[in-house]
Amino acid sequence: MDYIIEGVVRALELIFSLDKEIYGIVGRSVRFALTATLFATLAGVPVGFLIASKNFRGKPGVIVILNTLMALPTVVIGLLGYAFFSRSAPLGFLELIFAPGAVILGEFFLSLPVITNLTLSAVQAVDPRVYLTARTLGAGRLTVAWTVLMEARFALLAAIIAGFGRAVSEVGSAMMLGGNIRHYTRTMTTAIALEVSKGEFGFGLALGLFLLLVAFSINILFHYFQVKGR
Amino acid sequence: MEEGDKRYQLELNDIIHRYNGRTVLTVEHLPIERGKVYALVGPNGAGKTTLLHIMSLILRPDRGEVVFEGERIGYDESKRTHARRSMTMILQNPYLFRTTVKANIEYGLKARGMGRREREWRVGEALEHVGLSGFASRKAHELSGGEAQLVALARGLALSPSVLFLDEITANLDVKHVSQLEEVIKRINLERGTTIVMTTHMLNQAYRLADQVFSLFDGRIVSSTMYNLFKGEFRHDGEETLFDTGKIQIYFTAHAQGREKGHVSINPKDIIISKEPLNSSARNSFLGKITRIIEQNEVVHLGVYVGEEFRVQITTRSFHEMGLTLGSKVFLVFKASSVHLL
Repeated sequence: MDYIIEGVVRALELIFSLDKEIYGIVGRSVRFALTATLFATLAGVPVGFLIASKNFRGKPGVIVILNTLMALPTVVIGLLGYAFFSRSAPLGFLELIFAPGAVILGEFFLSLPVITNLTLSAVQAVDPRVYLTARTLGAGRLTVAWTVLMEARFALLAAIIAGFGRAVSEVGSAMMLGGNIRHYTRTMTTAIALEVSKGEFGFGLALGLFLLLVAFSINILFHYFQVKGR
Repeated sequence: MEEGDKRYQLELNDIIHRYNGRTVLTVEHLPIERGKVYALVGPNGAGKTTLLHIMSLILRPDRGEVVFEGERIGYDESKRTHARRSMTMILQNPYLFRTTVKANIEYGLKARGMGRREREWRVGEALEHVGLSGFASRKAHELSGGEAQLVALARGLALSPSVLFLDEITANLDVKHVSQLEEVIKRINLERGTTIVMTTHMLNQAYRLADQVFSLFDGRIVSSTMYNLFKGEFRHDGEETLFDTGKIQIYFTAHAQGREKGHVSINPKDIIISKEPLNSSARNSFLGKITRIIEQNEVVHLGVYVGEEFRVQITTRSFHEMGLTLGSKVFLVFKASSVHLL
């Protein structure tokens, strides 16, 4: 029990003393996750919209695959990333492995199915009269698409937040692709794994508290936008 | 650019549209003249909304052509969007975007690339036109059904369309909002010369507002009015054919060979009403009771129940001379040749 209390005290000390190492890791984690989420949004929202609004052969299959990818284990992404980006791999010349780019890429592939799938659901839930109304008012194709997305904006924001949550909390691919290099690719989750294994429970706990704070904020925002969208 | 007949603002030629392999609309020729009011009437599933969507270039027919302002509108989407910007449609259950009333009305103006000042002026004018001045900053989703319908109309009017399509816009409204909307429709047509094409279930409304009424039945434009429309079976009685609604039997002369079931209609103007039995050549005579009396512009519309509810039209003078009241017993008489087979 003392061990836990000592850990909590140490964690609070680190947080309130504005420990550079801790805040550096938190800032890097959020930066990586935000970048990955931004790109996943740019790719996932249009793809989700297209899948939702078009009828094509194999659409149910695509939706099943997207659902499966939402639960993709992070180590699988790490494994695939390593297979393609390690020094001797086909894309090794890009020198992404053990660099921030690889961590961001891994997080991108983890949040992409989340954002795509939730966008798809958001667009499918939009009242069909939105398409008709926009067209009767003289909107072109792009404006119609934009209008539909705007009508689903709260559900879309919830989708993006869920994607960010997936990216910021993952550990497997960040560890395998980033290598947990101090001041370079170390994120909250990889640092927690490392510090706890070293016996630095307080340090790990301080980061854990930050991660919890991020998760809590994400959930509050998610709930807020879901309620607002109803 | 291929050109059509310039006498008409809008023209439909040889239109065929299918849905799930079934032909739901067949229109050989439908001309719409500039500045007139048209009504499309017919029972549910007759194809009114499909026809309206094809006319307003929302839906592409499987076959046939739409000519707008003398130009044949093909399948090119940018051309269709361009033509669509001269028209607009108001829906039965209008959708207002989840924003303010002002932003809703500005939507179509922005799509046309209109500047902010012009947009604001048009929003104010359109709201004033429908009697909702001061509603601009209200949230669209907090409006009542009638207010929402008026905002949808203002959104359409702000675009100053040359053709306005109205799809059953008074269907779910109370009497107050129906008459308010009818007034607005008449004013738009008179003051702006806007061509109006409307669908409605209310035959009275159609004949009251429109210069021309098109009756649609089973996806086709038919010559009969949609009054006194009955569903039933054809029975043969010697050399004559009877139409049995299940409640009454009607003699008719139209050719129904090979058909077992169908619809017939009788124009209210073709029905004679009498307080005594008539000794005439007319094959159909029924005794019934007056259930409704609607007086309108020198004409009285009577509802008469003879086992089926009939609509009869007589002059105000005849109505008063006959001393008819609600509950009066009367004979309805019409010729077998007045029965139209649909």
